[in-house]
Amino acid sequence: MPKVVSIHSYRGGTGKSNFTANLATTLAMQGHRVGVVDTDVPSPGIHNIFSLEPEQAPVTLNSYLWGEAAIEEAAYDVGGAAGIAAAGRLFLVPSSVKADDIARVLKDGYDVKLLNDGFRKLVKALELDYLFIDTHPGLSKETFLSIAISHVLILILRPDKQDYQGTAVTIDIARQLNVRKMLLAINKAYSSLNFDVLKQKVEETYGAPVAGIFPLSEEVVQLASEGVFCTKFPDHPVSQEFSKVAAHITAEG
Amino acid sequence: MSKGDFSALASSIQAVASPFRQYLNDLHERYQGALDGAVADYIPELALADPNWFGICVVTKGGQVFEVGDCDKLFTIQSISKAFVYGLALEDHGRDYVNSKVSVEPTGEAFNAIVLDEATNRPYNPMVNAGAIATADLIKGDSATERLKRMLAMFKRYTGRDLDVNVPVFLSEKATGYRNRAIAYLMLNFGMVTDRVDETLDLYFQQCSIMVNAKDLAMMAATLANGGINPVTGERALDEHYVQDVISVMLTCGMYDYSGEWVYRVGLPAKSGVGGGITALAPGKLGIGTFSPPLDAKGNSYRGIKVCEDLSRDFGLHLFNVAKASHDLDDWLTGSGADSW
Ligand SMILES: Nc1ncnc2c1ncn2[C@@H]1O[C@H](COP(=O)(O)OP(=O)(O)O)[C@@H](O)[C@H]1O
Ligand SMILES: [Mg+2]
Repeated sequence: MPKVVSIHSYRGGTGKSNFTANLATTLAMQGHRVGVVDTDVPSPGIHNIFSLEPEQAPVTLNSYLWGEAAIEEAAYDVGGAAGIAAAGRLFLVPSSVKADDIARVLKDGYDVKLLNDGFRKLVKALELDYLFIDTHPGLSKETFLSIAISHVLILILRPDKQDYQGTAVTIDIARQLNVRKMLLAINKAYSSLNFDVLKQKVEETYGAPVAGIFPLSEEVVQLASEGVFCTKFPDHPVSQEFSKVAAHITAEG
Repeated sequence: MSKGDFSALASSIQAVASPFRQYLNDLHERYQGALDGAVADYIPELALADPNWFGICVVTKGGQVFEVGDCDKLFTIQSISKAFVYGLALEDHGRDYVNSKVSVEPTGEAFNAIVLDEATNRPYNPMVNAGAIATADLIKGDSATERLKRMLAMFKRYTGRDLDVNVPVFLSEKATGYRNRAIAYLMLNFGMVTDRVDETLDLYFQQCSIMVNAKDLAMMAATLANGGINPVTGERALDEHYVQDVISVMLTCGMYDYSGEWVYRVGLPAKSGVGGGITALAPGKLGIGTFSPPLDAKGNSYRGIKVCEDLSRDFGLHLFNVAKASHDLDDWLTGSGADSW
């Protein structure tokens, strides 16, 4: 059975896209067939991490939502760019970065039913084992949908009051939507913090497991979203933490 | 966002994400390409139907609505009307009187056969044309208009929206309905119908020419499944005492001379019409409405039968099913536990 993994956070800049790209790449490296959809239509970004230039990707998620293309036509093999030797394992469906396209979606909205159907078509057409959904921060219809359909919801938070509060709201909603499995990931943690204590505190507060804690890393900042961190620095502690989170996802039947 | 707004949004998202919706999508995809059967062509209006039209709608007892494909496309209700008008006749006169005019015995004869029970002169059941005309005769009202209005009001209680008679279809049915006229006069000869025969025939042709869509059919079935109360509007459409009468004749006689095999294979009370519609229900659970114009040799919608067969098998909806079904209906509706990926 294919699995859908949504990555979400209440606030922006928490590291969702970076996290999604690294986790997807980690699983693809293990031999799984993985797809990533950038549903952050108002502020797309993950294509940068996969070095997919807008000129190389004329067909996007927007094209699908407007009925101009099949969703699989908007899927690009980004395995090579992500540093995976084997082709045909890692695909990205990007969102359009054209101002007009973004404006059109913001103005007219789109049918979430169509988005849901698109996810399913993509999984079938590319025979995916895992579908990752990178999301726009905050709460919206699209967020609700990705929460409702995912097998695993990963909520990313930073050790910050605003993130804590927003995460509580999101968790409440996710539970009301009968989320199947929810994992927390803490990102950008200062190295001076005691990670074990932090993990325990967060788990107690939210009643959900923390799958990984990622330090605020100068190397990640330096890479500046130009490439997938875990294949560039496979032995780095950050990359090893991604492997740990990946194990959480593949473990369940 | 108030609590009410949130739950409305959450439930609409859950309906979109529901594994059951996905199941129906897959079902629609599976049979969209099945082009067996032929569109009815005994009147020109029906022959115009596009064989590709295909809609599946399910309405649950709780009022959740699932639609796939052409669920808003209007078509004529045709024989499906018979089951519901029978319910109105029961309300108008009670069971004993209605039984004295129309039997409830399945017949292996074609729906338009000119046969009456030899001992009692009653038509065999309300689902064959003879029985349906005798049933239409029972509908109370001082004038043709009032009787039609009462019928339309009854259908509105089931569907939750105003329905119209398609006048060209009505006129075509009337112009070519020699056989039905013959049946009606034969029954008049035996004193089984009142002498307002032409008015009743008009009423019958009009009831068959009411325009509905697959969603209406699902809502009507769900209303019966819900004990006679429309699960969305909350309005009562049929006295609860007569619900079992109506669905009994649907079960035994609803699918023309395929009814026996239908009970065996599908086991759901249902009624089909030559317009391509089928209404079927799982009592206490849900109503199904399908629309696909190509008909099989017995006059039932080919794709509609396939859809009902699959739904009944996969969710164990057959009335006499005691085995565990491969899909648990509640799990699939709520998304808990079921995995449609
Ligand atoms: N652990 C980390 N340490 C340092 N910088 C990080 C870390 N994780 C993410 N970043 C940086 O934070 C910024 C926002 O990340 P991004 O993945 O785009 O967030 P989001 O998708 O949630 O908006 C990027 O510049 C990214 O390189
Ligand atoms: Mg992002």
